[in-house]
Amino acid sequence: MVGYILNLLILVSISGILAGSLNFIIGYAGIYSMAHAAFFGIAAYTGALIAMHVSTSLLVAIPVAMALCAILSLVISLPSLRVRGEYFVVASLGLQMIAFTVFSEWKEVTGGLGGITGVPVATLFGFRLRSLESFLAVSLFCLAFVTLVIYVLARTSFGRNLKAIRDNEVAAAAFGKNPTFIKTIAVAISSALCGIAGVLYAFHVSFVNPESFTVDQSVLIMAMIIIGGTGTVFGPILGALIIHLLPAGLTYLTFLPARELASLQQIIYGAAMVLLMIYRPSGLIGRANIKDTWSK
Amino acid sequence: MLLLQLLVDGLQLGALYALMAVGFAIIFGSTRVFHYAHGTTYIIVGYLFYYMTERAHVPWWLAAALAACAGVIFGVALDRYVYRPIQRDEGSFFTVFVASFGVGVVAENLVIILFGASFVSISTPLTRANDIGGGIVISWLGIASMLVAVALFAFLNWFLGRTDVGVALRALSENPELVRGFGLNPRKLSQYAFAIGSLLVVPAALVATCVTGLTPTAGHRVVLISIAASIIGGIGSLRGAGLGGLILGLAESLAVWKLSTGWSEAVAFIILFCFILARPSGLFGTRARV
Repeated sequence: MVGYILNLLILVSISGILAGSLNFIIGYAGIYSMAHAAFFGIAAYTGALIAMHVSTSLLVAIPVAMALCAILSLVISLPSLRVRGEYFVVASLGLQMIAFTVFSEWKEVTGGLGGITGVPVATLFGFRLRSLESFLAVSLFCLAFVTLVIYVLARTSFGRNLKAIRDNEVAAAAFGKNPTFIKTIAVAISSALCGIAGVLYAFHVSFVNPESFTVDQSVLIMAMIIIGGTGTVFGPILGALIIHLLPAGLTYLTFLPARELASLQQIIYGAAMVLLMIYRPSGLIGRANIKDTWSK
Repeated sequence: MLLLQLLVDGLQLGALYALMAVGFAIIFGSTRVFHYAHGTTYIIVGYLFYYMTERAHVPWWLAAALAACAGVIFGVALDRYVYRPIQRDEGSFFTVFVASFGVGVVAENLVIILFGASFVSISTPLTRANDIGGGIVISWLGIASMLVAVALFAFLNWFLGRTDVGVALRALSENPELVRGFGLNPRKLSQYAFAIGSLLVVPAALVATCVTGLTPTAGHRVVLISIAASIIGGIGSLRGAGLGGLILGLAESLAVWKLSTGWSEAVAFIILFCFILARPSGLFGTRARV
């Protein structure tokens, strides 16, 4: 039971990092990326491969994965940031599909649909993070770090530039800001932070396969932000907590058929997305004023 | 020879893609709703058709007609009960998109609970391959789907060019304010757009149920192909969307010539990506909203 709760908390921390890093571009910059699970996957594969062939130290795997995610995000975002709104959503969805195909078909590196199994236990400063408690501590530290980075960034001039671009790109450009450059950096930061989650995930479950990095995963991350509250600091963490506690809570309702639990969970969060969009588009702890949150 | 065969296969696939894409383009063009649940319509039609023919043993033509009705009702109801309340509060395109996505998630999982997560398909003698000379094979269903596509395009051409509703729909995509100024009701018109748009998914859903089979998650791919085709053709151009669909169908089929089938799934999105990079306004796009 304790193991189950620790396990759940580790997954909540990893999801919190994912949701927080995606919220940085959706909530503050107005860049609606549907390719977050692709970067999560790239980092997880990177982490797994480094652990198996180079070093099991988190201090090696995490920086490499972060750097790789940031570089790949540049390659991808520079051109697609030329387009706005609907186009970017579609472009990122397309990327997500391409990434999934690469994960499942580039068999020499990713192991195909079977994935990579037997990722060794992570180490940090020479300590083996064998127990769930120690891994949870590291995950929580990472979550706190990512949240702090985003909190600070949102309050610097860079964060204010992002919000300015989100609210009115033309006006921001007229003030001498370079929207393309600022947005590209924002996407790179978001992808790099997402890389931390990927490495933690690979070490935690000790195997990676393409199933964890589908469009559905991207939507799930987005759902966490939307349910929690877009553009808020703790909204994504609250969303991650709700999305993970929901299935755990459902298992206690014994009258529900066990086989359908996964589907029921998805139905509940799908319905929550629809109802929230109709009645409270700013999320559970978001500002009540819709126009502040979803301004174009 | 293989190349010619792939070309024939690609035309069949492309004809169905073109219909789906035009359906999406009509909805998006005239109502500005980012209708992600377009793929959900496909799932609903396909699974209803499967249920009625394979399990309830309804004659296939009646099953097809009922499934088509259900698809149209779903589209119109979604517009009325989900999109409209959101748009009333000045919701941005992303708010509508998220709600649409949520509807898709709910429907997908209801289907999983009712029918299971694995493939379902209908066996029919119509899918058997016929040699049409030179070793090129085509099934009756393939011929039928191309004929249906041509017929539906002819109908659309007449509908959008000659009828009052059709002209009003085109006007709505050009200038909603002016349409309102003429005393027409955009809300009512958007219902027509959803009805026609949803109807155009039906042939693809029915054929896919017989040929490749259905999975609950197939809707994602359907809507992504539709969106990709409308962008390649140019947002706002229905002919462009149709052509885009045809190109994507051909490309996906021809890709098998050089690549393994696993990779061919990604071909459509690579083409889309090239278009977004090089020509975001698409083939026939007049207003590049970049």
